[in-house]
Amino acid sequence: MTTGTLLAPLRLLLPALIPSWNFFDVIAPAPRVEYALLASPGDTTGVWRAFRPRPEHVSLATLLKRLFWNPRWNQTLFVMSCAERLAEDRNPAHSEAELFKRIAADLVADGALEPQDPTRPWLCFRLVFVSREGEALTEEVMVQPAPRLLKDIAIR
Amino acid sequence: MSLEAAVRLTEILLALALVQQSLEHLRGFRDERILFGVRVVLCGLVIAGVAAPWPLVGLAGLSLLILHRFQGPYNGGSDRMGLLALWCLVLTRLLPTPALKELSFGYLGAQLMLSYFISGGVKIVNPDWRSGRALADVFQFSAYPVSQNLRRFAERPQLLRVMSWAVMGFELAFPLTLLWKPALVAGLAVAATFHLANACLFGLNRFFWTWLATYPAILWLQGRLL
Repeated sequence: MTTGTLLAPLRLLLPALIPSWNFFDVIAPAPRVEYALLASPGDTTGVWRAFRPRPEHVSLATLLKRLFWNPRWNQTLFVMSCAERLAEDRNPAHSEAELFKRIAADLVADGALEPQDPTRPWLCFRLVFVSREGEALTEEVMVQPAPRLLKDIAIR
Repeated sequence: MSLEAAVRLTEILLALALVQQSLEHLRGFRDERILFGVRVVLCGLVIAGVAAPWPLVGLAGLSLLILHRFQGPYNGGSDRMGLLALWCLVLTRLLPTPALKELSFGYLGAQLMLSYFISGGVKIVNPDWRSGRALADVFQFSAYPVSQNLRRFAERPQLLRVMSWAVMGFELAFPLTLLWKPALVAGLAVAATFHLANACLFGLNRFFWTWLATYPAILWLQGRLL
């Protein structure tokens, strides 16, 4: 183990010990994660679907319950952090692996979300960043890594 | 409030907040279940006051492994405040002299104050925040609103301008509450309500519990300074 490896967590800790507290100073382009299942790595016929689209409405009871138990939403926020890191090229290998892992886990856990199609074994995702230009919202695809075989993604 | 009482109360509140977060991870992947399972046990020891301060030291060491696992905080600002509180508490327990203990715990109280004041400062210099446009952007396209119908708030510019100025005004005025204990208590109640609103609208439940856990530090600091 090198000195750099040992010091890496301390480097991650430093911004917590000397915080900047610049919450929401500017409203940056916001990521959306979309995924598709493909027949082959070069397949362009996959249908892009939003990863964990928001519900139309959340009841007050659910909002209050989430004060104490909110794992899915907090994981979604982590996925957004990974998307931002990946777009900014900060530790991209880790962020890309996390995104593949969490999308694959959702697909396997919730077969109804996307019925497994043996003819489409490849998983791909892309990051669409939404921003405002004047009064209009614009979308830009900023990252689309190489597809991975769904069965090869460790989700345990 | 004495230093010992404030430190102990902060320890217990932080441990409870960390337990809440950790339980959420126990339904996650295997490596997360191991890390956060250990954290639940250590938090239990902190709450019970067993073998102090070593469970707290263990939590600090574990925090480095968790940072490594996620290559940074799992949930941005709330995790960072949790880390700051944890490491300040560890230093307060381990430093050898009363003055150094007061310095490290006072640092946490001061950072809590700055968390509001600087957040207000960086907003008010931005014309989009002063016009309410930035808050409209938060509702319209940011990743935070928990449901689609909340995005309709973006269509109410007058309300959002008032809300923006209310948030900025409160954040910038917060240091003044340190001048008088009842004002500080009232200020913290308003701040907690603000975090509660953020938890409901944007799903930021971790902010609510983590910031609440640090309130004893600023209550102690105010008493120590005045």
